[in-house]
Amino acid sequence: MAQHLLDQEAAADKASVSTESAAVRVHEKLCRSLCVLAGVAGYRSLASRALILASAKAPSLRAMQVTADGSLQVLSEAELAINERQAGEDRVILLAELLGLLQSFIGKALTLRLLREAWPNAVFDDCNSGDGEEHERTR
Amino acid sequence: MRFLTIAILGMEKSMSAQDKVVINNLPTGVLGLDEIVGGGLPEFSFNIIAGAPGSGKTTLAHQFVFANATQERPALYFTVLGESAIKMLRYQQQYTFFDPAKLPNSIRFINLSQVVLEKDLGEVLAEIIKEVEKTNPAVVVVDSFRTMVRKPQDGSSDMGLQSFIQQLSLFLASWQATTFLIGEYAEDELRDNPIFTVADGLFWMSQIAERNSVVRKLQIIKLRGQASVPGLHTFRITDAGLQAFSRTFGLSGHKSKPPSDRRLSIGIPELDKMMGGGVPEGDSVLVTGASGTGKSVLATQFIAEGIRQGEPGIVAVFEERPQAYADRAGSFGLDLEAPQKDGTLLILYLRPLDLSVDETMNEILDAVKRIGAKRLVIDSLAGFEMALSPGFREDFRESLYRMIFALTGIGVTILSTVEVDESFTEFPFSTYSISFLTDDIIRLRYVSIEGELRKILVIIKMRGGSHSQDIREYEITSKGMVIATERLKNYQRLITGIPERMNRFGDEEELSPKP
Repeated sequence: MAQHLLDQEAAADKASVSTESAAVRVHEKLCRSLCVLAGVAGYRSLASRALILASAKAPSLRAMQVTADGSLQVLSEAELAINERQAGEDRVILLAELLGLLQSFIGKALTLRLLREAWPNAVFDDCNSGDGEEHERTR
Repeated sequence: MRFLTIAILGMEKSMSAQDKVVINNLPTGVLGLDEIVGGGLPEFSFNIIAGAPGSGKTTLAHQFVFANATQERPALYFTVLGESAIKMLRYQQQYTFFDPAKLPNSIRFINLSQVVLEKDLGEVLAEIIKEVEKTNPAVVVVDSFRTMVRKPQDGSSDMGLQSFIQQLSLFLASWQATTFLIGEYAEDELRDNPIFTVADGLFWMSQIAERNSVVRKLQIIKLRGQASVPGLHTFRITDAGLQAFSRTFGLSGHKSKPPSDRRLSIGIPELDKMMGGGVPEGDSVLVTGASGTGKSVLATQFIAEGIRQGEPGIVAVFEERPQAYADRAGSFGLDLEAPQKDGTLLILYLRPLDLSVDETMNEILDAVKRIGAKRLVIDSLAGFEMALSPGFREDFRESLYRMIFALTGIGVTILSTVEVDESFTEFPFSTYSISFLTDDIIRLRYVSIEGELRKILVIIKMRGGSHSQDIREYEITSKGMVIATERLKNYQRLITGIPERMNRFGDEEELSPKP
């Protein structure tokens, strides 16, 4: 699902080929959507937890932090992933952790509904819904 | 001048009759609550749900929101400080009324905690106004507005809060939104609180722990525009959310059935004769007696006779299981199996744990409505009371009164049994002081005659007319209760249980030889 969101965002902005910039936009959209629902503090705590979980799998993410407004900030350029491909993969891991957290709290159905709101033109089908049990599709 | 006055009065009269605004009622989404609030919640009303934490305020608001929100007229649910919106969704989606398909287009959750923490009430109001103008909602909920109040406001005062509530109320009414403000309040805070004067509706929710049980109560303290059912109503929170049990058992709008002259046979011919042709339809009959005197047998014959005559019946049992009850009836030649299969008889086994008396009675009422029952047996009132949690027993007689009044009002004939301690110095009808609830009382008792423990029956009262004054002996046989055709003569002080035989001159005679 995380990769799918990045692909959606990359496809939406063909001018930018950077996975990194697509990832930033995904985070920003998620942040906006979730802050409405949970408040900035609510989103920030979720994002911080996701970052900790993701850092265990992608150590380069330790160079990042979640700011007071919920956005991601680089603490140490030196510790960031050495190449763009690696950075993109790390971002996918971070997003996956965030979506996983959300799903564990409010369930798959509501998580998908939140994503649909943030990406109204995106397609979310059973391939992207985690365990593939549901067959939901929207455009 | 006089003509003008008459003309104005006439105009006012016709205007009040014809031009009165119609207030639409919205479904509350809570089973039983529509009836309590007088048919549904008035549209565009500004309501406050108050109560202690855990009393069900948020769940009530959610049920209302899910019942009324549409894509065209969505609901805005503002969460403030307190329960995290994420966790609220996590828990609320466990209820069956929670429809995820309604999110986010029909129901939008908006968190205002940042505004509340960083800014003042004016900014909160501005934020709510902005969202309302953008969304045009039919329903607005602020959960919980009390947390906003508790946050210290620079230069704020009670008037500041009142002003906030007042402006919010005016704005939301103009935007044709039905509103709920949710707040944690203790009961004593409800009195003389100026905030509540703004509200059109004030819902007070509470839960009281008594011994090991918890009683949840709901009171509509005020509701402008329509008559709600007064008093405290029991409610329960289940997987389906709140379910409220009206004090009038959902029968407040029903027309009373006109009194009937019809008599219902009990299925015991001699008893029918003693009662002047049977039990008047719509009466409440109390059968009292000691253990083993045949109260349940009489009740079973009453219900079986009804089935035989095409009158569906309900038996509410508390002291034995339905199969055992049916088996015992079978031993008297009364078939209760077939009518259960064909749906003309329901034997309800009610041994609730922590259920309120209103819930239990609601179950009986549902069954009565479901099969169109004409006869109801409650066997026994003592078992009924014992099955209730201690906290509910105080309400037992009052609730019983309301149920009997409601059911007999729609023409159901009720026969209740109650056990009394056998006393040889008194002749009590009931240990429950519930005789006033009944139209007719049949008293069964043991008497000691000639070295035998025999049984006598007497009709104590029949509100609907005259009845036999006889004291009759009866037996419980394989065909049920069989009553002697003649009164028990030649004895006096029969009702003491230790009668004395009279000789042919009317004098007392020793019953047993002297040693």
